[in-house]
Amino acid sequence: MKSKQELTEILDFITEYATYLLGSGVHTSRVIRNSQRIGVSQGVDIQLSSFQKSIIITAHDEHSREAITRVVAIPALPISFERNSDLSALSWDALDERLPLDEIRRRYEKLIAKPRIDPIFVLITVGLANASFCRLFGGDWTAMGIVFTSTLVGFSARQQMQARGVNHFLVFIISAFLASLCASSALFFDCTAETALATSVLFLVPGVPLINGVIDIVDGHILIGVSRLINAMLLIICIAIGLSATLLMIKDSLL
Amino acid sequence: METFWNTIADYNSGTWPLQIAIVVIGLILTLLLYFRPSRTVRIAMKLFMIFLNFWIAAVYYLIYCAPREYNGLMALFWAIMGGLWIYDLAVKHASLELTGKHQSFAVVLLVMPIVYPLLSLALGRTFPMMTSPVMPCSVAVFTIGLMLAFSERVNIILAMFLAHWALLGFSKIYFFGIIEDYLLVFSLVPALYIFFREYVMAHASGKSKPSAAVLNTLLILLCIIVCIFFTITLLHQIKTA
Repeated sequence: MKSKQELTEILDFITEYATYLLGSGVHTSRVIRNSQRIGVSQGVDIQLSSFQKSIIITAHDEHSREAITRVVAIPALPISFERNSDLSALSWDALDERLPLDEIRRRYEKLIAKPRIDPIFVLITVGLANASFCRLFGGDWTAMGIVFTSTLVGFSARQQMQARGVNHFLVFIISAFLASLCASSALFFDCTAETALATSVLFLVPGVPLINGVIDIVDGHILIGVSRLINAMLLIICIAIGLSATLLMIKDSLL
Repeated sequence: METFWNTIADYNSGTWPLQIAIVVIGLILTLLLYFRPSRTVRIAMKLFMIFLNFWIAAVYYLIYCAPREYNGLMALFWAIMGGLWIYDLAVKHASLELTGKHQSFAVVLLVMPIVYPLLSLALGRTFPMMTSPVMPCSVAVFTIGLMLAFSERVNIILAMFLAHWALLGFSKIYFFGIIEDYLLVFSLVPALYIFFREYVMAHASGKSKPSAAVLNTLLILLCIIVCIFFTITLLHQIKTA
């Protein structure tokens, strides 16, 4: 039997854990499963409803019939699959090893304090990935080189603006515009310029919200699934606006 | 190709007195930054860079390069770089204080705008159909020289724009045979490597991964790839000569 104090402590931790996962780009079913797993390890039942910006979470102790509910905002965190995987593994460890709450919290703090990927490393690898996309869509070597440096311009602008807290729709419009503007320099040369232009903005495509949105809908979490898809669509529209601004300037050729 | 050199000839004929004035102002400001640095000089240099970038955008691309295709795009490209200098001036991002690092290399980059016309003359070109000190490539090299010599904190987006411009230099050599752009590539690739290495070292901490050494190796790898491209371009030039 849990006292109210114990139940509150368990709920506070699971709330922090669940919002961290949701903020880091985990789909809803996985968050619910992981949270309930930790709940079971602590002998409490967890029920969770997720929305785009917040969650409603309830911890219930069947023995004492005590129940506590919280409504908590989801923080905006960088997407990290490594961290998501580590935190999922933590929920299994909690259940398999019947870890006490203090130990789970200690391991959780250790996991979220792990070093993040360096922004310069991300910048270079995103540039290489986008250049590879260009190749996949039939771009030649000149186009690939131009897409690589265009992505460096667009993505560095995105990183700098996000670090300064600029509105993320504006960030997407400006980044798409800068990347496509730089990629349009391919038009000067005898190369696959159209491919370069089209693929220069692919690094902005919001893949995680799109995939999570579909998974959520399929799993029956229609509300958050649709919210995620609408959010992703808005970002895609922003990419289109940025790309269109460049295309309008070279209108005689492409628009 | 003919249009390219004709527009350069028109630009040089129409602006040579102003170009001399710009070079003199740039020289004075650079010397002042080296020997008599002050807040006023630093602000003046940033204002000069804003002027220089907008000059390339408006006078070079919009007015004199009007016969070229997509001149508006290039004008916008340089106007954005001018805008980045305005932002820098407003938020006081780049300190423009002498870093004391890579001084010899930075001096080579800073005098490169003068080397450009000399190389043109050495290649047998004559005034006005030759490269001059106030043209996009010479300004790009001067900018990276300034960033290397005088700034611990530099605008990463500006550096990326310059990296893009250096790559365009490669393509210009390959497709149009503009030999002078070898200078741009020769100087910008090592300069950008040094710049990024410094940036990585300055931002390296235990809170991120991979380590600074791994990032440095990645940068070296990228430079090797660029050098391979460079060799191909050179071989292409020799084959077509």
